[in-house]
Amino acid sequence: MNQSNQTQHRWGMAIDSDRCTGCQACVAACHAENNLPLSDAESAARGRAVHWIRVDRYYEGEFPDIRVKYMPVLCQHCDEAPCEPVCPVYATYKNPEGLNVQVYNRCVGTRYCANNCPYSVRFFNWFDPVWPSPLDLQHNPDVSIRMAGVMEKCTFCIQRINRAEREAKEEKRPLADGEVQPACVQSCPAEAMVFGDLNDPESKVSRLAESGRSTRLLEELGTQPKVFYLQRAT
Amino acid sequence: MLFDWRKRRLIRFSSKGVWLIVLCAIGAMADQPIAFPHNSHVKLGLDCLDCHIGADTRAAAGLPSVRKCMLCHAKLAKEKPEVQKVIAYANKGIEIPWVRVYDFPSEAHVKFRHAPHYQAGISCSTCHGDLTKETVAEHTVTHTMGSCLTCHRQKHASEDCAACHF
Repeated sequence: MNQSNQTQHRWGMAIDSDRCTGCQACVAACHAENNLPLSDAESAARGRAVHWIRVDRYYEGEFPDIRVKYMPVLCQHCDEAPCEPVCPVYATYKNPEGLNVQVYNRCVGTRYCANNCPYSVRFFNWFDPVWPSPLDLQHNPDVSIRMAGVMEKCTFCIQRINRAEREAKEEKRPLADGEVQPACVQSCPAEAMVFGDLNDPESKVSRLAESGRSTRLLEELGTQPKVFYLQRAT
Repeated sequence: MLFDWRKRRLIRFSSKGVWLIVLCAIGAMADQPIAFPHNSHVKLGLDCLDCHIGADTRAAAGLPSVRKCMLCHAKLAKEKPEVQKVIAYANKGIEIPWVRVYDFPSEAHVKFRHAPHYQAGISCSTCHGDLTKETVAEHTVTHTMGSCLTCHRQKHASEDCAACHF
């Protein structure tokens, strides 16, 4: 991979679970941005719902002294991703910017990756996607529409990353911190999500990741996720 | 539905090269509404960008609107039968239904942009053939991932899958 003429980014995200109100705006934004099919109660019951990001709920304490903690869970873009080595056709790999990429063309649909993902953030297209009218007219042209038989997952809105990098290159300037915003980050009304370059020690996401409040999901598995969850230090 | 999903799936699980052949065949046989002669327009000194205005700055090079044709043909070569057709479209206020010759099938999941290629100094003819010799646009150059990657390697452009497929 010849990327020597570009500055190397390493994209990561910080999510403040103390700020998250569980409003699901990120989920809706992700669906609109990434051409995700809609799911209903029946498809969800059969485990076929596709949500690249979901909001997990955790209840702390006993009723009535109960506190709900929300945790948006998306692909953690692990440095040591368990999904990658199990793919027999190299359809998922780590790209030079640290993104865990899914190549739809290569995918043959073994579903090994989804089975090996400890975060359950990979989704298989059991059927060709169908949208009720008029939602079929609002597809994002920058994102592929995945066909039946392939896996799909959060891309950290790679189309937005590519676009920002392209625009910065055209204007011959470095990419500013906060210039790239995935749909979920952009839509978060509580500003609980921050996206940025982990290679830049001055970026907001790097500083949050190194703050004492930062934890990573299932860190003990050694997956080295690039999504950092911030919560009250106890 | 915008796409023929069923067909797409059938193609996907058959040979990978089939869509290319199909596309070539469609392109070569493309029956354009007007027999537009590229060669004579190039000979008159028109640049590709004069009509395909997006090629240097946008994703799609684009096709000119019929009003653009009329900028010249309101005055020039009005008597020619093919130009008469252009004038008829313009008078009716409808666009000329050009048949697209080069395209990536949606199942290729390619997000191609003309602009970076133009800015990297790739000439139009590299991918679209020598239009100084063609009349009606035809699918003369076959695009495969191999041909894209060969050029990307030579020019030290990104070879990351996600640079084009996402």
